[in-house]
Amino acid sequence: MKIIDRHFRLILPLLQPCLLSLVYSVAVQAATPALENTAQTLTIAQSSDTDEPADDSEKSSLPGLGTDVKFSKKGADTCLKCHDEDSAYPVLDIFKTKHGVKADPRTPMATLQCETCHGPGVKGLLFMEEAKKKGGHVGKVRPGEKRPPILNFGVKSDEPVAEQNRMCLACHKGDQHIGWQGSAHDKGDVACANCHVIHTQRDPVMDRTLQSEVCYSCHQKQRTDFLKTSVHPVRFGQINCTDCHSIHGSNTRAMLVRPTLNQTCYTCHADKRGPFLWAHAPASEDCTLCHTPHGSIHPALLKKRAPLLCQQCHSQLGHPSVGYTPAGLPGGSGTPSGFMLAGSCLNCHSQVHGSNHPSGVKLMR
Amino acid sequence: MLIPKIKTTAMYTQPQLAIIGLCVSMYAIADTVPLNIPASVDTSRWDCDYCTFEQGLSGELELGIGYVSDPSYKFGEYNSLYEDGAYAVANGTARYRDDADYFNLDALDLGLENRWIEAEGGRQGVYNLYLNYDGISRAISDSTMTPYLGDGSNNLTLPGDWVPSNNTAGMTQLDASLHDANLKTLRKRVGYGLSFIPAAQWEAAIDVRHEFREGQQSISGAFLYDGAELVKPVDYVTDEVQATVKYTAPKWQSVLSYYVSLFNNANASLTWENAFDPITPGADAGQMALSPDNQFHQIMLSSGYQFSDATSLSGDIAIGRMEQDEDLLQASINPNLDVALPRTSAQARIDTLTANLKLDTALSDKTRLSAAYRYNDRDNKTPSDVFEWVITDTVISPDPRYNLPYSFIDQIATLDVAYNINRKTRFSAGFENAIKRRTNQQVDKTTENTLWGKFDVRTSNSVDIDLRAAHGQRDGSGYHPVAEIEPPENPLMRKYNLADRTRDTGSINVTLYLHERISINLGGEFAMDDYSDSVIGLTSSEETLLNADFSMLLTEVTSLSAYVSWQDIQSEQAGSDTGTDPDWFASNDDTVGSFGIGLKHQLIENKLDVGVDYYLLQSTGQISIVTGTENSQFPDLETDLRTLKLYGDYKLKDNLTLHAEFWNNHYTSSNWMFDGVDPATIPNVLSFGEQSPSYNVNVGIVSARYSF
Repeated sequence: MKIIDRHFRLILPLLQPCLLSLVYSVAVQAATPALENTAQTLTIAQSSDTDEPADDSEKSSLPGLGTDVKFSKKGADTCLKCHDEDSAYPVLDIFKTKHGVKADPRTPMATLQCETCHGPGVKGLLFMEEAKKKGGHVGKVRPGEKRPPILNFGVKSDEPVAEQNRMCLACHKGDQHIGWQGSAHDKGDVACANCHVIHTQRDPVMDRTLQSEVCYSCHQKQRTDFLKTSVHPVRFGQINCTDCHSIHGSNTRAMLVRPTLNQTCYTCHADKRGPFLWAHAPASEDCTLCHTPHGSIHPALLKKRAPLLCQQCHSQLGHPSVGYTPAGLPGGSGTPSGFMLAGSCLNCHSQVHGSNHPSGVKLMR
Repeated sequence: MLIPKIKTTAMYTQPQLAIIGLCVSMYAIADTVPLNIPASVDTSRWDCDYCTFEQGLSGELELGIGYVSDPSYKFGEYNSLYEDGAYAVANGTARYRDDADYFNLDALDLGLENRWIEAEGGRQGVYNLYLNYDGISRAISDSTMTPYLGDGSNNLTLPGDWVPSNNTAGMTQLDASLHDANLKTLRKRVGYGLSFIPAAQWEAAIDVRHEFREGQQSISGAFLYDGAELVKPVDYVTDEVQATVKYTAPKWQSVLSYYVSLFNNANASLTWENAFDPITPGADAGQMALSPDNQFHQIMLSSGYQFSDATSLSGDIAIGRMEQDEDLLQASINPNLDVALPRTSAQARIDTLTANLKLDTALSDKTRLSAAYRYNDRDNKTPSDVFEWVITDTVISPDPRYNLPYSFIDQIATLDVAYNINRKTRFSAGFENAIKRRTNQQVDKTTENTLWGKFDVRTSNSVDIDLRAAHGQRDGSGYHPVAEIEPPENPLMRKYNLADRTRDTGSINVTLYLHERISINLGGEFAMDDYSDSVIGLTSSEETLLNADFSMLLTEVTSLSAYVSWQDIQSEQAGSDTGTDPDWFASNDDTVGSFGIGLKHQLIENKLDVGVDYYLLQSTGQISIVTGTENSQFPDLETDLRTLKLYGDYKLKDNLTLHAEFWNNHYTSSNWMFDGVDPATIPNVLSFGEQSPSYNVNVGIVSARYSF
């Protein structure tokens, strides 16, 4: 395997450009047909509604539709007459986002425009009790009368979170959204729009310098953790919450990006991965047995510091079992102790993640 | 708001003015399914005349200068500003749009080691290409000193006139030999990739990341009880490649991926001369193994199926292998100690298998049920051999040892139900059964059962209350010594990850929307672990967290937000000097208080915006130990972090804005592990003499932003 590895390393830099060129040429060739295929899908979907659906599993429709709804006559133009840059709810930045690209036939603007996400403007979605009773959002209202609602999203929305999310999930089903249903955020009634801002060029939660602020609005403990003296550099914008967490749902504890906690840690700390000849059992089992992932007042994000951290597991007769006191500090009544000061236990046992040295059984080599 | 990024540019303080949005993940292009538009909708008049579709080139450029008043590795730990003096502020973004064709170029902190730049382009809905560079620096310590020569290499030597001794005080050339050995690393990441849609509902992608990590870290080497802190060379290359195929249909979605990570360390070992008198002949140099080259391969399939709007099933399976087969170093570089090895290379291998299945279904309008099963097998296939070994290049151990390959199997089953009592109140409850099996450890199997309940109450449109409580009990199959581990542990020791445990947790969270302009959030969390069956080891731990957040739109042009939090983490443990019944008891008590406030104001409409952010964090770690009748208290471990940031933006023209920013950053700390410990303070440890960091650093930035 070492030989394969060495060869792989040698050819990798050569292989990657070739691979990319190959894939790129395929992509360019595939570009036009792919666009046409997608457009055809839409055409088929439209026309197939008048006939028998070919295969229900291959179709998706907007939630909350039925015969008792009514769309506007002029689509987005109806909305944009009011919702321009000077309105209380400006929306024009949608055209600076992927949702606002009409040339991509999958987007809202290429389908039912604003009403793709917000539902029919004249007669609201079936689950919108108020809109059904009072009429749609589009239309004349008397002076002083409140305009009937259209489906809106986020913290201030009156619509059930599940219904808001169904609208997004009608399109965003794949990839990292596969595990959304039943995920912690789903069960916690987190609306997609609690985190995402749609009508803006740059969604803060998708921005590496701002993402953590969005997460802190619910995860206050982590906000404090990342201010501590020993941290992962989230506060500095060097890594993001989503570097470790798959926030749309995964099956690991804490919704991690890799299948296990340690595998997630190894994506940045491959030097700790080993496997080592002499493994340290807790390091192999779970990094968080000794470390806390967000921030600590102890060095190296440790839960507590040596020697007491180590003495939670190591009690062999001799120096591991001794209860060390402040007498061993500089100026104390005893000799300054190498068992407590500087690196403490790590002054000698420095290979705490494992050793590959044949004499490394005590993690000293 | 709050907790402004300790970044170098002003843009971070005002999200609404951020000229560079640094997308965390932009590359997924086909996680969507096409919509089925009702044929009855007449869109013939949907001309989109008012739609302002983006076309052509646009962007923004920021250029300026920043100044750092004082050098500090702690202040610059992760932001590259560890040196004093001026630096260039250079950021920019450019966007080009031509219908579905697009190109983005983003750059940030080009004047610093932490620079980030990315080019991305493609045709939306068809393909995407990207190439990026990301620098991540870490300044670890600027108070470390060493007499060793060859910092950064894998061979550390002492000066020719070095005088060894049996203790550090006797090393008469130590002071004259000391020099700064600043510890710092820099990761330089280059990433590129491609994703494309070969056909409707399909996407293929390949992502590549090369990481070069270089610099110096600390490590220690010892000869029996004589240790020395050493500079470890860091010269790593990690290559990661992930190839993915995705299928996304309305009811069925799948992702098949292959991931490989290859780690390469340019230094297999670190050799250093013994600064102490050799305890045995030939023990005048030592050698340790550094992180070995290794690789990890994994194939993973994730799938989800929606039976209906109410019911979905999702799961994944991943098969992987970690391998490491580096040539073993010799058992000792002491020429007087000859030890034969049972094999010449590590032959280390771990097979991994994880599988997960999750069913989520709405049984009725009011009741929802979720069930999940998780399986994780880490099968260590590394051969176990008897190794004769040398104790720290000094003496051959009389007790040959087997290397122990640790394996683990986790199985977790969960079932939970949520019942909507009415539209505003929900009760949820769940049960989890977690079984963990281990090899070569003191407990073969632990079983933990946890029961939890939760109330979510929305008393009106303005008050949300969440209450949660859980109780768990973990029991082991029996604690037994591991014969291969010598000397044996105290028989009363119960390692805390294996010990019987009772865990109770609770939380409350209240959100008040007092007015559409005012919101308050109050939260509290509590967790307690009880290891009452453990006589030696960790016996209990407890954590409490309280926090309050407040935000208010004072006027149309002024917003205020603030938070305060308090955290307390306590633990108790017992030990035995004599290796029998406990005769010492230690407690840790960490408290952390944090406060932040931010104010933003538009001073002149569409002309001048100003703001101020302030936050502080104070922490105290208290450790006490009771030995016999004496209760000894260690000095408090303290940190005090305060940052004040003032900023303003003045719009000269519609496309030109001047920006100014000033931060004062103040930090003090005390740590009895370092404070007052000079290189020769500890008789048997030649230390770095590292001291607790403190700093008072001012940063000023002036820049101009031009948009086009």
